[in-house]
Amino acid sequence: MSEDPLTSSTFAERARVQLAKPFLREAVPRATDIAVRDLRERFAGHDYDGLRELGREIRARTMADLEDALATLTDALVANGIHVHHAADAAAAREHIRRICRESDATRVVKVKSMATEEIALNPALVADGLEVTETDLGEYVVQLDGDRPSHIIAPIIHKTRAEVRETLSRVAGRELPDDASELTDFARERLRDAFMDADVGISGANFGVAETGTIVLVTNEGNGRMCTSMPRIHIALMGIERVIPTLEDLSVMLPLITGAGTGQLITSYVSMLSGPRGEGEPDGPEAMHVVLLDNGRRALLGTEYQEVLHCIRCGACQNVCPVYRQVGGHAYGWVYGGPIGAVLTPLFLGTEAGGELPQASSLCGACDDICPVKIPLHDLLLQLRRTRVDDGAAPWRERLAAELWAWAWSSPRRYRVVTRIGGGVVRVMAAAGLMSSLGPLGRWARGRTIPTPARRPFHSRGERDV
Amino acid sequence: MSDRTQLWRMAPTELAPHEDALTRFQAELERAGGSSVSVGPGELVGEITATLAAAGAHRIALTADLGDARPVIAQALEIARYDVVDYDAIADDRAAVRDLDATVTGCLAAVAATGSIVTGATGAGRAGALVAPTHVCVVETRRLVDGLASLMRLAPRLGAGSMMALQTGPSRTADIEKTLIVGVHGPKRVHVVLLDGVLAD
Ligand code: SF4
Repeated sequence: MSEDPLTSSTFAERARVQLAKPFLREAVPRATDIAVRDLRERFAGHDYDGLRELGREIRARTMADLEDALATLTDALVANGIHVHHAADAAAAREHIRRICRESDATRVVKVKSMATEEIALNPALVADGLEVTETDLGEYVVQLDGDRPSHIIAPIIHKTRAEVRETLSRVAGRELPDDASELTDFARERLRDAFMDADVGISGANFGVAETGTIVLVTNEGNGRMCTSMPRIHIALMGIERVIPTLEDLSVMLPLITGAGTGQLITSYVSMLSGPRGEGEPDGPEAMHVVLLDNGRRALLGTEYQEVLHCIRCGACQNVCPVYRQVGGHAYGWVYGGPIGAVLTPLFLGTEAGGELPQASSLCGACDDICPVKIPLHDLLLQLRRTRVDDGAAPWRERLAAELWAWAWSSPRRYRVVTRIGGGVVRVMAAAGLMSSLGPLGRWARGRTIPTPARRPFHSRGERDV
Repeated sequence: MSDRTQLWRMAPTELAPHEDALTRFQAELERAGGSSVSVGPGELVGEITATLAAAGAHRIALTADLGDARPVIAQALEIARYDVVDYDAIADDRAAVRDLDATVTGCLAAVAATGSIVTGATGAGRAGALVAPTHVCVVETRRLVDGLASLMRLAPRLGAGSMMALQTGPSRTADIEKTLIVGVHGPKRVHVVLLDGVLAD
């Protein structure tokens, strides 16, 4: 990325920019409410909590011996005729993918939405090599055309209005497209169909890698995952090493968790299970398949108090329920992952220098813990990160005081509820009176942490712990 | 500690004991935006033809997983003046693939609890069930499995080849202001013909 918002601005500054967009503050809660409502509806009469526990067990068991799971996965992938590459960091991963493109004389690349490729900032590197890169997920396509960034793990243009999408696609069309989501989609479909048909290389992420069978699993609704892995000559899957799961049986637990928590669907329209390049007698599919296993700071978390963050399956549910994310949107977090998971991952991956203030961007209400399909204790991790930063002396005194206050408040749920209710009430009144900026140093503190005005009732008091 | 044998209590992707597989399959598929109908062997070709006619399809590809029924269906469609090709014969020809109005495929399995059909690279190919705006899938009722857990147990023996895909209803997106749009990169219309019998073999 040419300009890194993380180092050139603070969370408070970015949040202020986002808060000035009225659509964002209306659209993000609306969209995320739908996902949470659908999740609850689909799991009505079922024990979501029990399933989450199964998911947590699978993830914990795998992480307890990640190297073993990865060795099994690698052997099985290789046995399936898949080329496996190991990347210690983002630069190494980019280099592998660039080399594969070069060696296969590729000129055109199509991509399936993938947070891992965002994480390694792949597109600019490929474009610099002269490759034509097309994002094929509708939302990612619009993001790419706008030179924007996705603002939600699974709903990349949650921050854009239909009018904005129309403007962008009309520019590409060279004519005014109708103000109709269906017609806009049709236009994109036709454009992207050309891209699929002409592409040499398809690049995807991996929702899961099944160790026992050497299978890469992609979960999509639009069908672009299927197209990207069917039409081009080469398929490259970039997979974070933590996305391995031991068996196919585990997949029958992880699938309803990721689709339920992610979109509130029982299952997405498409689940692709890819176990190699085009085989003997098969009518279509790529000549070669590559899997790039990305470390990029993941192994370093093993055996630390942050290991559980590796359980994350990137479903986006914690963003949906986070009172801070719902107001400020994903861009305020400054890097690729927003919301609670972003506030944990960013400082862990990039260092506290760049992302260290993000753990403050949370009210520690615990709503994320309650919805996370693999029961990651996000608020514990956030607290731990705050503590570490304070111990390091990296935090200014005001922030240190704040962190300590939060920690004290959190030490008992009852105390916490009282504090947030009182604190929230005060800030709400002040925000209404436009007093936030007149607070001096404390105003800055308040802006960074509690703007926007806290919800009237914190999530944990809404009795929604039992999705 | 949770018990996996009780998975159906936790996961809506499993069938409850004694729940009727066919009824559940049809309900879930409909919920996902697809349609289905049950037919006997004598009604199969008529149902396929009627569906294609209603969709206004003209260029049709048939995939290999229709087995011995493929030439029979092809012949009937040709008589009805459809332009019919074998998907495997044109799969490498991008222009021909793009021109397709509909594909008719078989399947390896179907999942009752989720309303999903399961295709493999060896039969329908990776994209045979995906590339055209209309997809008609013939599911022999004996291929119905209860839920995802049963499917995953069965998967290694299905002979799917390099790809196995679950597909549930039409392709969809809700990217633009959360408005549900059907038919993005995959089909707009998915119609499942549940065959009470076997495709000729
Ligand atoms: S932390 Fe949990 S809820 Fe958030 S994206 Fe990861 S798996 Fe989903």
